[in-house]
Amino acid sequence: MRKNLVSRNNLISYKNFGRKNLIGYIFSSPFIIFTLAMWLYPFLWGIVISFKKWNLISPKQSWVGLENYLGVIKDPMLWVMVRNSIYFMVVFITITTITSLGLALLIKQIPKKYAGLYIAGFLLSYVSSGVAYSMVFNLLFAGDGLVNNLLRIFGIKVGWFTNPKIAMASIAMIVCWKFTGYYGLFFLAGLNNINPTLYEAAVIDGANSWQRFIKITVPLLNATFIMIIVFATIISFNLFTEPYMITGGGPMNATRTMMLEIYHRVFGLLQAGYGSTLAIVSAVITFIFVWAFRKLIERDDIYE
Amino acid sequence: MNKYIKCKMPLIYLVLTIGLFLAIFPYLWMVLSSFKVSGEIYTRFWPTKLTLGNYAFILKGGTGQERNFTGSIANSLIISIIPTISVIFFGMITAYSLRRMKICGYRFFENLVVYQMLFPGVLFLIPLFLIMRDWGQINKHSGMILRYLIDPWAIFIYIQFFKTIPEALLEAARIDGASEFKIITRIMLPLSKTTTAIVTLFTFMARWSEFLWPLIVNKDYDKMPLSVLLALFTKGEYQTYPGVQMAGATLLTLPIVILFLVFRRHFEEGISFTGLKG
Repeated sequence: MRKNLVSRNNLISYKNFGRKNLIGYIFSSPFIIFTLAMWLYPFLWGIVISFKKWNLISPKQSWVGLENYLGVIKDPMLWVMVRNSIYFMVVFITITTITSLGLALLIKQIPKKYAGLYIAGFLLSYVSSGVAYSMVFNLLFAGDGLVNNLLRIFGIKVGWFTNPKIAMASIAMIVCWKFTGYYGLFFLAGLNNINPTLYEAAVIDGANSWQRFIKITVPLLNATFIMIIVFATIISFNLFTEPYMITGGGPMNATRTMMLEIYHRVFGLLQAGYGSTLAIVSAVITFIFVWAFRKLIERDDIYE
Repeated sequence: MNKYIKCKMPLIYLVLTIGLFLAIFPYLWMVLSSFKVSGEIYTRFWPTKLTLGNYAFILKGGTGQERNFTGSIANSLIISIIPTISVIFFGMITAYSLRRMKICGYRFFENLVVYQMLFPGVLFLIPLFLIMRDWGQINKHSGMILRYLIDPWAIFIYIQFFKTIPEALLEAARIDGASEFKIITRIMLPLSKTTTAIVTLFTFMARWSEFLWPLIVNKDYDKMPLSVLLALFTKGEYQTYPGVQMAGATLLTLPIVILFLVFRRHFEEGISFTGLKG
């Protein structure tokens, strides 16, 4: 009798198991189909195209082996673009870290009810659309725009987007404007996670506010720093809308990015193979930078 | 010490307010300029007289070379709202089947979700364009929408949230005879308001502002979303009309700002969940 019950129970749970799996797979089948069609398939195809020469239109596709890869690496433009992205990255990470960490440190000190209002105000720039703010800044920083009109009082005129030496820095400043509030929120979350007793202990030990900042705040925000630097790196190598709208890659290729070049090569010059190769090289370079930054900065043994 | 604190707080507010002014200034200038007559855009901050001429110009046309901007707003809404609803729906049922029903191989699928988030989008741009072309999706709304119907990031944050719901709640519902689908719509959906608000905000924002993808897969002016049409016109016909440009930029910014203000509370609450959205 007892044996019978057990087996019946098993039977029921086995039946349930099958039913549950069936319903579960019905639920997740759109995701599985989507993954195969829109992720795995294009991913593999992208790699295949990078070994081909093809103008997107003619049925003729020829295998060229590593020719595209050699072409990309030998093209001096690649290093111009990498240099531009690094320039952008340095300016963007430096300024945005200072502004957003500063913002978080200040917001932390004011009462919650006002803090919410300030955060909302700073986040407005984050929700702005790339095309819209590029248009606004293009006019604000134009040769005879508002900013230069103000600077004229001091007798200065800056070619924000026309001087090849600073055009990329100007674009980096715009992106800083966009992300300060958003990253500030991440820093604020990080600050709120720090145990306040650490500061109290440090005060008792006689540490001044600068020492507390360097010895407690900065190391304990390590995870936030990592996250923001990784985001910033990815943004640096995927920059498209801002240079497309404002500079078109100029002046003298100073703001030409990988994405602009891929767009130009594939949809302008119809070089599908070369463009795909460039996309892969760009992804690899991004991975190398992300990996290197994590290696350099990441600490997981802080005060534990 | 007391004196120090006294002058510290006003200083903090002063710095924050200056910062806030700088953060909002471009918006302020954009909106003001969109109501200015063309002579006053660069020369005055406060306009002496307001005009709706710029908006009339962009929405009604009358230059002989006008494009359908009103239609482009409708296009933008189509390619933003459909993916937003779809991403929420599929995000929820996929996360539920993986995390709460634990179908065979759920760990593998969860890893797949994370991998999809980590792979840079640049790798998929060209092949996805070719796939859309092979499927006859060029110059169609569907071509701009299809690749965004499911977002692994949304699945990921629903998984994170569903982890926190006690199994007893689901068991109780199952004993009462609720089907799995009913559990999702009657229990999971009401419980995950914050997560859904964040998914809605980020997805709508990203699709409404999307530029590169619709630029590539659609060359038909009548189907262009506002972002693309505006960008092409700013670089072309509207180059010398800053007022009209700013009217367009205001129209492009307005819906996401409104949406943000509606969902603002959830945005700050859920920032720990959104940790992986760049």
